[in-house]
Amino acid sequence: MKKFICAVATTLTLGLANAAWAEVAVIVHPSASFASLSEDDISRLFLGKSKSFPGGGQAVPVNQNEGAAARDKFNEAVCKKNASQYKAYWSQLVFTGKGTPPKDAGDDAAVKALIAANPTMIGYIDASAVDASVKVVYKVP
Amino acid sequence: MNNISSMRKKHSLALAIALCMAAPLTQAADLNFSGFLSVGGGMVDDENGPAYGGYDEEDLTFDNNLLGLQISGTVSEKLTATVQLTARSENDYEVDAEWAYLSWQATESSKIRAGRLRTPFYMFSDFLDVGYAYSWISPPREVYYLPFNNVNGVDFYTTQTLGIFDTTFQAYFGGFDDELDLNNDGILEEAKTRNQMGIAGTLGKDWWTLRAAYHQADLWIDVTGISMPVFGTLGNFANALTNTYNLPANANKLLVEEDSVTFAEVGLNIDTGRFVAAIEYVEFKPDDALLSKNKRGYAMGGVRFGDWLVHLTASQSKDDESHPEAGIPVAPQTAPLIGALQAVAASQAVDREVISIGTRWDVTTGTALKFQIDDVDDKNQGDQKVFSVALQTVF
Repeated sequence: MKKFICAVATTLTLGLANAAWAEVAVIVHPSASFASLSEDDISRLFLGKSKSFPGGGQAVPVNQNEGAAARDKFNEAVCKKNASQYKAYWSQLVFTGKGTPPKDAGDDAAVKALIAANPTMIGYIDASAVDASVKVVYKVP
Repeated sequence: MNNISSMRKKHSLALAIALCMAAPLTQAADLNFSGFLSVGGGMVDDENGPAYGGYDEEDLTFDNNLLGLQISGTVSEKLTATVQLTARSENDYEVDAEWAYLSWQATESSKIRAGRLRTPFYMFSDFLDVGYAYSWISPPREVYYLPFNNVNGVDFYTTQTLGIFDTTFQAYFGGFDDELDLNNDGILEEAKTRNQMGIAGTLGKDWWTLRAAYHQADLWIDVTGISMPVFGTLGNFANALTNTYNLPANANKLLVEEDSVTFAEVGLNIDTGRFVAAIEYVEFKPDDALLSKNKRGYAMGGVRFGDWLVHLTASQSKDDESHPEAGIPVAPQTAPLIGALQAVAASQAVDREVISIGTRWDVTTGTALKFQIDDVDDKNQGDQKVFSVALQTVF
């Protein structure tokens, strides 16, 4: 019994550790005037429904590349769409001239470098990759 | 002749857009390529029944293929040129431009476009050719039946946030020349619209979108070549009405010449992630012409299981036939005329119910494999079942 509880505890701890490691942080340039954004604000930016930050100012969302773990997690949690639904959603806009999807900008490091250099951009990276060059405005648990 | 000149216009427009895009190309500026592909096949249950959805053989044929390529280039900061070229198997893969326009971003949320646009008749009009973007192989044919998919003109498109809702609004003006097969007899009738204008608006939030649209146009369709008993063609019949029987008003009720037609649509689209649903109802009013008043709608519901989606759709056409015989005094001598006029009008009225069941399997991101069975119950032409399959991608 003790062994079993031990095993369950270990699994839980590992699971939690794993989940914590996979946390995704939504990031902007450190100079941004706002401290945080709501999930709705972010979803609207990444689905092309809004093109500016809540305080005004142009917002340019950037994606990680297709297949990246952070991208799938972000799209499911914030945009409420799996990879296929996300693609179908954007194909409705792309082929009608009504919108262009966020650019695929690479992995955690590439997105972080872009955001750090561009005050208008917003992106997301694995929380473990966050440093002082960017500002976290939302966390996907 | 008419047709040739319209083809020329088409090509010169495409050329103008291409030239606009060549400029940024030489400067190696932002040029975007995207595309879509649909390979589809199908068969009917009974070759002696009516053809449906482009299928009339009991053997599986793969002749519903479509390749689309969209190129858009930035001309200047606020000016974009876009052309969407499609090649369809049913047109021998002749390349045609469904969209070819210049777009000017007037404000952050509004744009003005000029060129060839897709007419925003329906909820799925804009991406009609991009099967990957919806659940069916193609949207329900009972409702998506209008031949005039495009318009050459200008439009205004804006997106706004209204409280907690997302809204879009589109208004356009233009006209179009086309050929259409009114009686499904393989004979094409020349058609055109002028002073065509319309508005379309949507209101939505997260998982639902409401849509309404209204259009009007002056419509011409050359129906004089349609064959009919005794008189040979409808054109001869109309001449006889005017000259022999002195009934020019009734001849006018037969022909489609500068008739002021209207088209209205309402729709609701739902996608919660787990469940999808769509309802759409349309009404076409033909003014004084032999065309029927079209009243058509469908309701669809579906459920997603992982990468699979299963959907069920009920659609219906219930047209009111026109009355080109109106005003002719009823008498034994006029009975044959009235009968002939009523028969012509009745031939244009569709009374049909279709139940469709289908699946969509997202094989990979960007590729979907779809199966569909349509059970067609045509009150005038008989029953039919259509089995179809399609592989649809975007890239």
